[in-house]
Amino acid sequence: MTDVALPTDERTDLDLIARWKAGEQRAATLLVERHAHAVARFAASIGARDDVEEVVQDTFVRAFASIDGFRGDSSLRTWLFTIARRLLLDRRRSARRRGEQVEVRENDAATEYDSLDGVVADETQRRLQAALAKLSPTQREVFVLRVSEGMSYAEIADTVGTTEGAARVHYHNAMRTIKELLDD
Amino acid sequence: MIDCPNGDVRDLLPDYLHDRLESSARMSVEQHLAGCAACREELALLRDLRGTLQRAPRIDVAAVAAAIPAYRPAARKSWASGWRVAAAIAAIAVGGASVALLNRMQNQKQMAQGPVTQPDVTPYVGPTSTPATTPQPMPVQPPTPAVAHANPSVTHSEPTTKAAGAPSGEELAIAGGTIADLSDGELSDLLGDIESLDAVPSTEVESTESLLTGRHRGRHD
Repeated sequence: MTDVALPTDERTDLDLIARWKAGEQRAATLLVERHAHAVARFAASIGARDDVEEVVQDTFVRAFASIDGFRGDSSLRTWLFTIARRLLLDRRRSARRRGEQVEVRENDAATEYDSLDGVVADETQRRLQAALAKLSPTQREVFVLRVSEGMSYAEIADTVGTTEGAARVHYHNAMRTIKELLDD
Repeated sequence: MIDCPNGDVRDLLPDYLHDRLESSARMSVEQHLAGCAACREELALLRDLRGTLQRAPRIDVAAVAAAIPAYRPAARKSWASGWRVAAAIAAIAVGGASVALLNRMQNQKQMAQGPVTQPDVTPYVGPTSTPATTPQPMPVQPPTPAVAHANPSVTHSEPTTKAAGAPSGEELAIAGGTIADLSDGELSDLLGDIESLDAVPSTEVESTESLLTGRHRGRHD
């Protein structure tokens, strides 16, 4: 398997970064437009709720502030996901210190998705969301990156901080769980 | 919903969905899909799930983009501050090492001078200096009190102490004579030896004592 789509995207990202560094602010806007929705989806899938936009904004501000640290070893999107994930973990830790209940519980993600996307009218969509909500946080995180973002296991491992093998196992376990739930 | 036993193809279905397969792999998957209902069903499920997952929360992309500041080359600044921090750490380290070295030198001087002012004890000067630095004609004998009293020559030596910085008469007696017996050259050598005590690597007094104890033990064995 080789990536036939991303190299072009990565070249575009690197080109936009270079243009932004050269003083073209419009290039930053283009980069945000290319990746903001994906970052938002990912943030929502790993527990961001009403603060999704804030997380997305913080992610981009941090990424651009340390853009010289981006060496292009991974794709820009993978790097953004990694930053977003760390931000959310930091937020959870801070909230936990303040005594807030912010853990993503196994059974409350349906509410989480409802809050993100308003009322879901379609019955199939509702069932799928319910099935996704039953996944463990790690399974959901891996599954979202694999199915929604089309990431390879290597990219997922980079983002989540695990191994390719573990990412593969999480994906297939998630798939089996969803099938079983939909069969019930 | 039945799982296809071909795990390799199932593993590639998300990549096929996102058109991330090279042509040969894509053709292989398509051939498999043509004859496998389970995989077609799984692919359809993946497509629905992707649609569900891609229902992203609404965000104001323009507001996010507006928060991005203009590029500032941070590398130069961080290099400068990094060097400052490194220089400060180096200065502190060198300063600390210098103080430690000075303290050690002072300790060594005190250790070298201490026994001379307290000749009754002589735990350090004799064994450390005499064997290593005494000129050849002088017999090497540790000037411990026990040895000194056992030596008949002590009986006619002066039991009083000498001025600080010079070997006591007792030590010279142990070495085989008095200070008056030394030539100018020998006296100069001896003074040089005493001066060289600073260069003797020593640790704490305790370890020196244990070394002395070991020597005594070795001699008695």
